[in-house]
Amino acid sequence: MKKFATLTFALLLGLTVTGTAHANPARDAIIAKLQAQASQPFSAERGKAFYLKDWSGERDAAASDPETPSCTACHSTNPRNETKHAKTGKVKPPIAVSATPDRFTDPDNVEKWFRRNCNGVLGRECTAQEKGDFLTFMIGQ
Amino acid sequence: MTDMNDGAPKGAEASANPETDAKIDVWDAPTRFFHWSLVFQVFVALLTGFIFPEWWMETHIWAGHLIVLFIGFRVVWGFAGSEYSRFDTFIFPVATLIEHVKSVLAKKPKHYVGHNPAGGLMIFGLLIVLFLLTTTGLMILGGEENQGALAAFVNYQAGSAGKVLHSLLSWLLILMILGHVGGVILEGLLTGENLIYSMITGQKDRHPGDVVPRQRPPHVLWGAFATGALVIGAAALVNFLSSFPPSGHVKMDVSDTWKSECADCHMGYHPSHLPAESWRKLMTTLDDHFGEDASLDSATVQELTDYLVKYSAETWDTEAANRFREVDPAEPRRISATPYWVRKHADIKEADFKKSSVKGKANCIACHQDAESGRFDDQKIRIPRE
Repeated sequence: MKKFATLTFALLLGLTVTGTAHANPARDAIIAKLQAQASQPFSAERGKAFYLKDWSGERDAAASDPETPSCTACHSTNPRNETKHAKTGKVKPPIAVSATPDRFTDPDNVEKWFRRNCNGVLGRECTAQEKGDFLTFMIGQ
Repeated sequence: MTDMNDGAPKGAEASANPETDAKIDVWDAPTRFFHWSLVFQVFVALLTGFIFPEWWMETHIWAGHLIVLFIGFRVVWGFAGSEYSRFDTFIFPVATLIEHVKSVLAKKPKHYVGHNPAGGLMIFGLLIVLFLLTTTGLMILGGEENQGALAAFVNYQAGSAGKVLHSLLSWLLILMILGHVGGVILEGLLTGENLIYSMITGQKDRHPGDVVPRQRPPHVLWGAFATGALVIGAAALVNFLSSFPPSGHVKMDVSDTWKSECADCHMGYHPSHLPAESWRKLMTTLDDHFGEDASLDSATVQELTDYLVKYSAETWDTEAANRFREVDPAEPRRISATPYWVRKHADIKEADFKKSSVKGKANCIACHQDAESGRFDDQKIRIPRE
């Protein structure tokens, strides 16, 4: 009987861990907050296009970084790749949630990196719509 | 202690019979071993000190420690060794020394079986200068590098003073080695004696009129005992002294915020690697952080500024902290622009900085494996292949 209980407990724990790998309350809260400021439901498709887009044609050259015309310049075209910082060579864990489960769970950290990287790549702040699409894409990756 | 070897075997005495032999046993085996070992150690020390790059420092330090032990042995053997190894056979009155120099100048030097007066003086000089070199070396190691027996007891300033002395003494040593070898060659030319060969075989040719005393045999047992005690004592002393925490290191709890914010995109630059003023400047210009937007919320900026200023270069007495206190006024935030950094890396090729594992001058840790600890030990330098 005790053995059965342990097994059940382990099974339940396993299910819980698997379940939370992609759905995370902290992450859900970040998405919900952004969704409240966006006009359309978030789309992984739009997020993917945003991630892969080369912004060099339409961005403010003075406000952006010539070395980073797109998200992929640093994060590579496959978000599940481990990457290196372009200037320092420091190894960064993959940006995809499937590969780095604690991604996008700290709202301050998420805001910090959107602020820094939207400026560097787009030459402006990102909209809530863009952020939400981007996160939705990454959560599915 | 009684003289264990006074009753030396008859055969040994017969072979050194002053009346009949054409060869005289002069340098005993331990003295010869000492001599050539010391030659090798000094050669290695000079090579690693003057010519080889910094990452040979460990070899240099080993050479220094061995030299001290061998000098210790030689001092013991100066009292316990066989006849011509003993100090009292090559201490001469000043008048005899002057007389000897005059006879050399007249190209008719008197023949000495052991050291001549000038050569004997040189041996004492070499032993003293080598001892001073090892002590000043230990001062630099302790003061500048925060390593070794004196790490806890010598500050950076004293270490730097030691460095000046160490450098002067090493040039003096080179001059003395030239004098020592020059003397050997000169004596060879004037008397036809091959002294280098003598230091290998231990024997010298008998010259007419040589005064050969009854040779005192070595006190092997107490010589070995004293040398052993010296080696063990020195090792224990070095070990004991090395166990004290190095001076100039500040007790610092590494900040978690610093780890997550300042060591996320690049290696963690130790607070002791820039002066407080530079850290303040750096923390107020995070939106243009060497070309990157590294902006942070004001609370985090304040926390990090407090941390970096509290443990800035002014508060440490390590080599790096002392050196990096002086920044380039035009670029006070850039460690690789400090005069010391520029000077130290003048011989590093641009191609080395461009290697894929290095990625530029900012990535100290690519070559200095202990960079994040703030130490920058010479032994921890490895330039990666690619």
